[in-house]
Amino acid sequence: MAEKTFAELLEESTENSRMMDAPLSVRLKAVADEVNRLSPEFAGVVGRMVARLEANSVGQSAPQVGEQMPDFILPDEKGTLVRLENLLEQGPVVVSFHRGHWCPYCRLNADGLARIAPDVKRLGAQIVAISPETHHYGAELKSYAKAPFPILADVDNGYALELNLLFWVGDEKREAMQAGGFDIAPYQGNETWMLPIPATFIVGRDGLVKARYIDPDYRHRMELEAILATLGPLSAETVGRSISFGAGNGDRSQHEYRRRSTGS
Amino acid sequence: MEMHQIRYFLAVTRTLNFTRAADECNVTQPSLTRAMKQLEAELGGDLFRRERPAAQLTELGQRMQPLLKQCYEAAVGARSLASSFKGGKVGTLRIAIADAVDLSLLIPHLEQLKRLFNALEFKLLRGNSKQIGEYLKKGEAELGIAVEMDKDWDRLDSWPLFTESFLLVVNERHPLAAQGSVGFDDLKKQQLLSRGYCEYAERLSATLRACDIDADSSHDISSEHDLIKLLEADIGIAIIPCSASMPDKLRRAPIEGLDIRRTVQLFGVAGRERTAVASAVMKMLRSADWQPFTSPAMAPAREARPALSIVAA
Repeated sequence: MAEKTFAELLEESTENSRMMDAPLSVRLKAVADEVNRLSPEFAGVVGRMVARLEANSVGQSAPQVGEQMPDFILPDEKGTLVRLENLLEQGPVVVSFHRGHWCPYCRLNADGLARIAPDVKRLGAQIVAISPETHHYGAELKSYAKAPFPILADVDNGYALELNLLFWVGDEKREAMQAGGFDIAPYQGNETWMLPIPATFIVGRDGLVKARYIDPDYRHRMELEAILATLGPLSAETVGRSISFGAGNGDRSQHEYRRRSTGS
Repeated sequence: MEMHQIRYFLAVTRTLNFTRAADECNVTQPSLTRAMKQLEAELGGDLFRRERPAAQLTELGQRMQPLLKQCYEAAVGARSLASSFKGGKVGTLRIAIADAVDLSLLIPHLEQLKRLFNALEFKLLRGNSKQIGEYLKKGEAELGIAVEMDKDWDRLDSWPLFTESFLLVVNERHPLAAQGSVGFDDLKKQQLLSRGYCEYAERLSATLRACDIDADSSHDISSEHDLIKLLEADIGIAIIPCSASMPDKLRRAPIEGLDIRRTVQLFGVAGRERTAVASAVMKMLRSADWQPFTSPAMAPAREARPALSIVAA
């Protein structure tokens, strides 16, 4: 039997993590731990890239809580054009950036979002995932996660750049990814080796960002409970209660979610 | 990376001069310099050799230039599509499609645009590859869909959409329609309808000649519309690309041993500002799933049309 690639070995542990009865952060950490165990070299490369992004505060200038979320018109995995403002007419929207179907953390993230999708719907909100991959691969992520939400294709990362979420993978990480079986160029339909920070935004019906989670360390994602906790009070708005802006808007920093101290 | 950093970077690569780039971007030179330093820190290397006032791109700068430009244009396109939606005016889509490429490739995407933008207007141009190139050069079309294009103009951007094989197509009444598989021998003594407007017609003829098939006494047809009429009347048989849509009463089948493929590509003009609608169509076409056409053996399953081999079974 041919030797398995790093990507294939990771697939097994991603599957194990998916089956765990634990918060998303714990499931993600299990994969990160497995990366460290399987290939300390690869983990070292990841650490250096993440350190470079963190040192430069990559992604921090994306729309802040209380700011307008820029509108988008992007095709979903079937080619249907989806517009943010049309979605907002129906209720709050969870906008979740993903790196691609190949990324174990994104798979677990999409799987987690699919699990809370019925609750999100009950709260009158919707989820959209955005990835730089072409429809064929967006459809793969969707079917892996059994996602009832669309996977929008942001070809060449235009919307991610508009939000200041884009970063260059860099030569060292690119070489490690290619050697490990993660050649993302064909999935993206370009040779740029650019990826979005896998950020999550919760956008209210008024188009303003109500909460955001931005971490240049792609092994961390917005906790599912935090998404539901933010949507809870917003859902009252959806049902039509009038809300006052200004003084009652609360402390913004409360909605700036940061990673849990599970370590990396 | 931040959008303004890339905008400044691209201005410096155009002007090769920090002062002029700062003027062009309406910022002070210190802010431009600061933004470039931040970008360099994030990318992990110098982008410019600073020999004031001139700026020379380093090797990293040269490598990053096309990549950053591609992402920047995508971001500008994304932004202008969303804002043109607000204004209700999305512009006119001017697109040129080669005669040998089926318009149905574009239809689902036009339907999507039409759904969002009622006022969508388009100008559809047809021609051979050379003419498509001319339309792009002269600015009559913003986008082109064709198979091959002369590379004599370095401002053509191209994105391969899919690579497909060629199939035999015959009338359902034709004896070959009932045959399980088709080989070159079956094509002998058949009246071949040759698609003169296809860039691959010559290559196909040469392949057939090499297999002792008299391709030269074939009928020469100059439009897909005429070809379909003749096939419907069972006047001959033809060899067509997978993505060509055909009426129900025609049957298709792969030809054993025929190994000719063509790549359908999208073309645009580098450095020319694109309308919002053109950049939307470009992204839709590039992200589309073309796999139904790329399967090496079978025709697209757009309609539930029984394949030749199934008919025979």
